[in-house]
Amino acid sequence: MPPDTLNATLSAEAPYDEMFGADGQCRPQYQALYKRLDEIPREELNRRQHAADLSFLHQGITFTVYGRDEGTERIFPYDLLPRIITGPEWETLERGLTQRIRALNLFLKDIYHEGRILKDGVVPAELVYTCRHFRREMRGVSVPRDIYISVVGTDLIRLRDGRFVVLEDNLRVPSGVSYMLANRQVMKRVFPRLFGNYGVRPIDHYGTALLSTMRALAPPGRPDPTIVLLTPGVYNSAYYEHAFLARQMGIELVEGRDLLVHDNVVYMRTTAGPRRVDVIYRRLDDDFLDPLAFRADSALGVAGLFNAYRAGNVALANAVGTGVADDKAVYAYVPAIIRYYMGEEPVIDNVETYLMTDGAQRRHVLDNLDKMVVKAVGESGGYGMLIGTHSTAAEREEFRRRIESEPRNYIAQPVLALSQAPCLIDGKVEARHVDLRPYILCGEQVTIVPGGLTRVALRRGSLVVNSSQGGGSKDTWVLNE
Amino acid sequence: MLSRVADSLYWTSRYLERAEHTARLIDIGLNLMLDQSSAAVERRWGRLLDSVHAPPRLTGSSDAYHIAEAMTFDLSNETSIVACIANARENLRQVREQISSEMWEQLNTLFLRVKGTRLDDIWNVSTHEFFRSVKEGAHLFQGITDATMNHGEGWQFIQVGRHLERAGVTATLLDVYTNDLLTRDGGPETPQRTYLDWVGLLKACTAFEAYCKVYTADLRPERVVEFLLLNAECPRSVRFAAEAIQASFQSIAEATGTRKSGRVNRLAGRLRATLSFGQIDEILETGLRAYLNDVRRQCAQIHEAILQTYVAYPVESALAS
Amino acid sequence: MHLSINHVTKFRYSAPITESIMELRMQPLTEGPQRCLKFDLGLKPMARAASYRDHLGNVVHHFDIPGRHTQLVINATSHVETLPREEPPEALAPAAWDALDALVEGGDYWDMLMPSHFARPSEALLDFARESNLGRREDPLTVLRELNTAIYNAFDYVPQSTSADSPIDDALTARKGVCQDYSHILIALARHLRVPCRYVSGYLFHRVEYNDRSAQDATHAWVEALLPELGWVGFDPTNNLLAGQRHIRVAVGRDYMDVPPTRGVFKGAAESELSVAVQVKPAEEPDSEEALRLIATLNRPPDAEHTAQQQQQQQQ
Repeated sequence: MPPDTLNATLSAEAPYDEMFGADGQCRPQYQALYKRLDEIPREELNRRQHAADLSFLHQGITFTVYGRDEGTERIFPYDLLPRIITGPEWETLERGLTQRIRALNLFLKDIYHEGRILKDGVVPAELVYTCRHFRREMRGVSVPRDIYISVVGTDLIRLRDGRFVVLEDNLRVPSGVSYMLANRQVMKRVFPRLFGNYGVRPIDHYGTALLSTMRALAPPGRPDPTIVLLTPGVYNSAYYEHAFLARQMGIELVEGRDLLVHDNVVYMRTTAGPRRVDVIYRRLDDDFLDPLAFRADSALGVAGLFNAYRAGNVALANAVGTGVADDKAVYAYVPAIIRYYMGEEPVIDNVETYLMTDGAQRRHVLDNLDKMVVKAVGESGGYGMLIGTHSTAAEREEFRRRIESEPRNYIAQPVLALSQAPCLIDGKVEARHVDLRPYILCGEQVTIVPGGLTRVALRRGSLVVNSSQGGGSKDTWVLNE
Repeated sequence: MLSRVADSLYWTSRYLERAEHTARLIDIGLNLMLDQSSAAVERRWGRLLDSVHAPPRLTGSSDAYHIAEAMTFDLSNETSIVACIANARENLRQVREQISSEMWEQLNTLFLRVKGTRLDDIWNVSTHEFFRSVKEGAHLFQGITDATMNHGEGWQFIQVGRHLERAGVTATLLDVYTNDLLTRDGGPETPQRTYLDWVGLLKACTAFEAYCKVYTADLRPERVVEFLLLNAECPRSVRFAAEAIQASFQSIAEATGTRKSGRVNRLAGRLRATLSFGQIDEILETGLRAYLNDVRRQCAQIHEAILQTYVAYPVESALAS
Repeated sequence: MHLSINHVTKFRYSAPITESIMELRMQPLTEGPQRCLKFDLGLKPMARAASYRDHLGNVVHHFDIPGRHTQLVINATSHVETLPREEPPEALAPAAWDALDALVEGGDYWDMLMPSHFARPSEALLDFARESNLGRREDPLTVLRELNTAIYNAFDYVPQSTSADSPIDDALTARKGVCQDYSHILIALARHLRVPCRYVSGYLFHRVEYNDRSAQDATHAWVEALLPELGWVGFDPTNNLLAGQRHIRVAVGRDYMDVPPTRGVFKGAAESELSVAVQVKPAEEPDSEEALRLIATLNRPPDAEHTAQQQQQQQQ
């Protein structure tokens, strides 16, 4: 399933427009596209859009909503017009994301070992200990190369002044990268000439980069490691992506029942006998990984996996317990975390965030609920969320009650304007709100393929980019210059 | 190849073969019934139902509508056609990444068609067309598989499943029929009725025409048995299936390079030898029943050996070997 | 005091199982006034056990048995030396409450203060707290001593009256329970007063003359509370005792969830039946005949198993 909702709402003032400056002039990076759009007849555009849709369907690039008996497969709507990011803009993003991911890795290592940042009072210990995703079992466990987060998808939005800010870090099992890659494939087929002349930086090496990121985690003495992708199975909504990535990397796509642990070593069952597994790119949440160590009722995991992991006989990406660093309340401390470990100012800012555990901030939010976005800290996908500007008095009252009874479970942010980009809507070009999720790989070095998934709220005025609520995506071009 | 994938392909094929077999039997049962007295009808349904391990609640029934309903559309009856197809589809769905999309589409289409049909839709007009479409749906799946999937290890497991199921059901069917027909002591049946029974058996194996080409329409019990059991060319004979199984195992052993594939190969070779060198007069003399039981037992051993060798093997001994 | 412990655990399965994998928390700690001089693990069927120290400092052994089996027997034997410990004073100064708060403020005791899986507040617990006049009176040690006695007096000790996964409300309502319930109740109440508290799983060396209430040949559980000047002090509400030289500590955690002696997972459709035998005795004494007989019973090999008829249906 395509990634989660983008949680922000429209303000009365005009948002940043990706294509046109405040003076109404087309930005330089969009000029060739603008010209081309002007030349192509509408019917031709529609024809190409249709061809693109069919291409997704035929390649089976779909997300699935199905039970045992019936199956419906839908494509994640694809918008034909690319979103363009200039070389200098990207350079800043790359620097900022690299800094952020390094700091978050150091944070995770610290809280699972000495806990210096907690002792120094930079991040309240209470916040960490009360986080549902904090794994006490990880205390004192070393992970290969001290890399906790190998694969990240960071949600960025662009504010009115043109600055990108981080809305959310996804440090557990971020999804959506297959759409980024598929969008590019289709784009090249639909607009070959335009694409060819634009100087767009390639992203096709993502699979190779992901594989070497995984390889970097292999236990010592395993020069030719066996790497597998662990999926919850065909009923998972992101199964398509799991199969896609396994194919891209040329590795086996396994389910929990394919793996077993014997004498603290993980094996997969093949017809040629048990084969040792060294690295697992797991697309399964911590809770379900190992019924011995975590949820005993998990039928999706592998009993004994965590002990093999603790012993260093197998690597997991991402590590266990990374969810503590993308808790929405911990998010508020990421700028402080960057300063603490890196001794630098954050290159990319956070969205201003109010903690409901803080009395003064809570009062401010409760007094201004109609102007706030309230989010549950442990949730994603737009669950447990209040958008103040679009809420009823009853909904606000409900959230007031929830915040007061469980302040640790909620944070609030001011309502933000997402930038907008041109989209092809019913044959016409119209502006729609967008966000950006680049994918960051952290192995021997940090690799960010230049691009990401630009999600679009296809409904006019909507800020919800979730696929089930009229969200779509478009190709993201990062230019050489 | 992952053991789970091999297992799913094997079972897909087994269940689909089973569905096709059952469809053929129900179709024939409904057809033969037209020429028979009610006592004979009950007896013949009894034979058919026994041979497919139908649930006990159907024992003794001669209510064709009830039987057809239970054996075709009742999902809660695990021997019904729809349940077998559903199981085949469920197995295939688990390995969609390993097969061609055409294979999936064909099986899914077949499943949706069978599941979307009610007996009342076909009862008065077209039961035969319906069961024929099920058989054809299964044949089409095998044809599409041959044409669109690499003939590698996975394909070989599909072949093993199909032929092992076929060997088993044909041997069972032969057993049930011959036990009834050859050991009958007098009784009210006429030679005419018995003739119909032998035709029914051949038809139940889609082998009536093939038999006539070899032996003419002169139906002799020992020839019918010989044909269905030992004929090397009839694709529904047990021997044909045994040869196919052995050939597939050789390919699988080459692909997996497992030293422990010895047991599977030995069992498959023994079954094949049992059938290749069998002489029908000797078999009848020493006891057909015992012979068929031995064949069925060997099939069960092969099934068990597949699981133990390729799927659910004990990991410590696999590591030690 | 030198003590030897025999702890035999047997799982019988109603049908053959495979790939069973298990974690044990059975090795006595070497910490403070206790030393574990020897620990042996016998496993039937045979398996290779590995061990690690968990984040609470407990030693965890784990192993897997991949092949088919219908029973599993774990023989854990240890030899422990326990030293006499200094008797805590009768009471602390009233200012100890402030000292306790300062101690908590400066240290990392969060986990032992927060409600945990079994030790959490409930209506029934708060009722009991009111009934026993719970509050930050006198000094922390006095309050805990009183609480220890109050729980001892209020509950009947009835083996098997609750099970390993019973919530404390069962015991609170019925006013009966076992050492695990007593300990969880004491932990929940003490944490309610902001006293860091942890659960201790272990053994108690019994002798008739001690008049202990807890069952003699069984595992035992009690509580440790953090007190200023004294550190972690053990309270045994089952026997109305302060933990002493007869208490053998095996593992500590937030509550039972963190420290079950065995935790396992297996493949197969089978029910499992657990039997346990424990013997704690002075190291120099010979094994009692009764204990030996019980241990031998548990170590008997399984009955010949019946092989199921092969059904050619896919096994899920």
